[in-house]
Amino acid sequence: MNALTISHRDTATGPAVRVAGDLDYDRAPELRRRIEELPLAAGQCLTLELSGLDFCDSSGITALLAARQHALAAGADVVLTGVPSNLMRVLTLVGLDRVFTLRPAAEAAS
Amino acid sequence: MCRTSGVPEPAGTGGEPSTDAAFTALLEDSAEDLYESAPCGYLSTMMDGTIAKINSTLLDWLGLDRAEVVGRKRFPDLLTVGGKLYHETHFAPLLRMQGELRGIALEMRRAGGGRLPVLVSAVLKRGSEGEPLLTRITVFDASDRRAYEEELLRRRKEAERARAEADEARRQAEADRARLADALAVLQKSLVPDSLPVVPGLESAVHYHTAAPDQLGGDFYDLFPVAGDRWAFFLGDVCGKGPEAASLTSLTRYTLRAAAHHDPEPASALATLNAVLHERYTAGGDPRYCTCIFGIAEPGGPDGSVTVRIASGGHPSALVLRAGGGAEFLPTPGGLLVGVLPRAPIGSAETVLAPGDTMVLYTDGLTEARLGPGRDDLYGEDALRAFAAEQAPASPRELISALTELLRSFGDGLDDDTALLALGAPAAGGPARTSPVTKPAS
Repeated sequence: MNALTISHRDTATGPAVRVAGDLDYDRAPELRRRIEELPLAAGQCLTLELSGLDFCDSSGITALLAARQHALAAGADVVLTGVPSNLMRVLTLVGLDRVFTLRPAAEAAS
Repeated sequence: MCRTSGVPEPAGTGGEPSTDAAFTALLEDSAEDLYESAPCGYLSTMMDGTIAKINSTLLDWLGLDRAEVVGRKRFPDLLTVGGKLYHETHFAPLLRMQGELRGIALEMRRAGGGRLPVLVSAVLKRGSEGEPLLTRITVFDASDRRAYEEELLRRRKEAERARAEADEARRQAEADRARLADALAVLQKSLVPDSLPVVPGLESAVHYHTAAPDQLGGDFYDLFPVAGDRWAFFLGDVCGKGPEAASLTSLTRYTLRAAAHHDPEPASALATLNAVLHERYTAGGDPRYCTCIFGIAEPGGPDGSVTVRIASGGHPSALVLRAGGGAEFLPTPGGLLVGVLPRAPIGSAETVLAPGDTMVLYTDGLTEARLGPGRDDLYGEDALRAFAAEQAPASPRELISALTELLRSFGDGLDDDTALLALGAPAAGGPARTSPVTKPAS
């Protein structure tokens, strides 16, 4: 078990949230709460950096979908970066690889 | 011994003379003073109870003057009403009979109106002929002891009440638990059918495993008739767990049942479900979804074959075992989790089950079962297909039986709900059979 760590910084295109550790039934609500508190403006892009994600179950996927819904409601886009292979396998299985915009992990950002 | 040895005592230990003086002072204390000031009450009465003598201690306790007592009051006059009664019925007769009494609990009246709990001992003084002359009575103040006894009694009553309350609470909790278990059982039946219907020309078998016995499952399946000798079936898995998952399962199951009657086209039924779930949950900012395979089976082909058309929303592919051996997935590409988007892409596929062919639907509890300590150390779809190929050909019942054994072999690795539904065209010459549901967790 790895603790869930969520950190957030603002970039030129919009907020970037780095999610690391385990995103499971017990911890997913924390991510949903943090994302819902994020101010998002129309035209911005919410980036979820997932390269440090060790585990993600269906509750975690629900949290990612909630983040997407939050961004769409604000007129913003959402991008997942650095999706780990095990999560990628699940996203592909359930068709979400075509719902989310996916990008490779960004270069180590400050 | 030191004093008789003749050896002079060391300085500082010569305390004996003053100690002796103290003893002497005590010994010189008069018997009269000892009687009057003793730490207990004394009184002597004539045989008719009239008080002949009483000490100061008792007079002080009762707040009485000697003049108003001696020769004027009887011993029972000093007692409370209850004490008087006890004196007449027990104390006096027993004393007369036995000659002495010890430690009798009585209550005496104080002049101020209060009561003094006492313990009384009495002895008869007899004359030379043995005739009773007077009664000597000793009275001990039992206030502390009575308070202690009352405290004990109060504590015991409190403990008994607390125990009664705890018993009642436990009984209530057990009744609540039983009622909750009944409610859960009824709800569980609304999520998955008790048994599958017998379908001519279509053999079926299911297995349903809930990870926690007291948890409503998030997996669901069904098999039911629709118009035109066709049968609808579905199997799926909702996100989340517990009561919230159960309510989503219930909505999903009945939406699919209703949709199947309206338009039995598999993709249409899933599109309806998608619209319902999206409107109910995701559009309101509370995304919930399920993965599901919905299908229509048409038994009664000319050679006993069954035509099966399925649609999938993000669900693991169905697996088909052929009568001639081998197992292959029946892919339904392009499907998406049901309930995520307003209009979801849905994948479709069709196959014909020849006699002896069997198709199995399963939830990811099977393929995601953990085989080792690592989180990525999962059973997987490749292993499942290899396992199925070893079983082929297998009737639905034989296949479900083998898969149930496989699930059991996972032990603690099987940490999710798992549902299995197998449908097959009966092998040539064999009767259509439908096995009962096996639900070890129910």
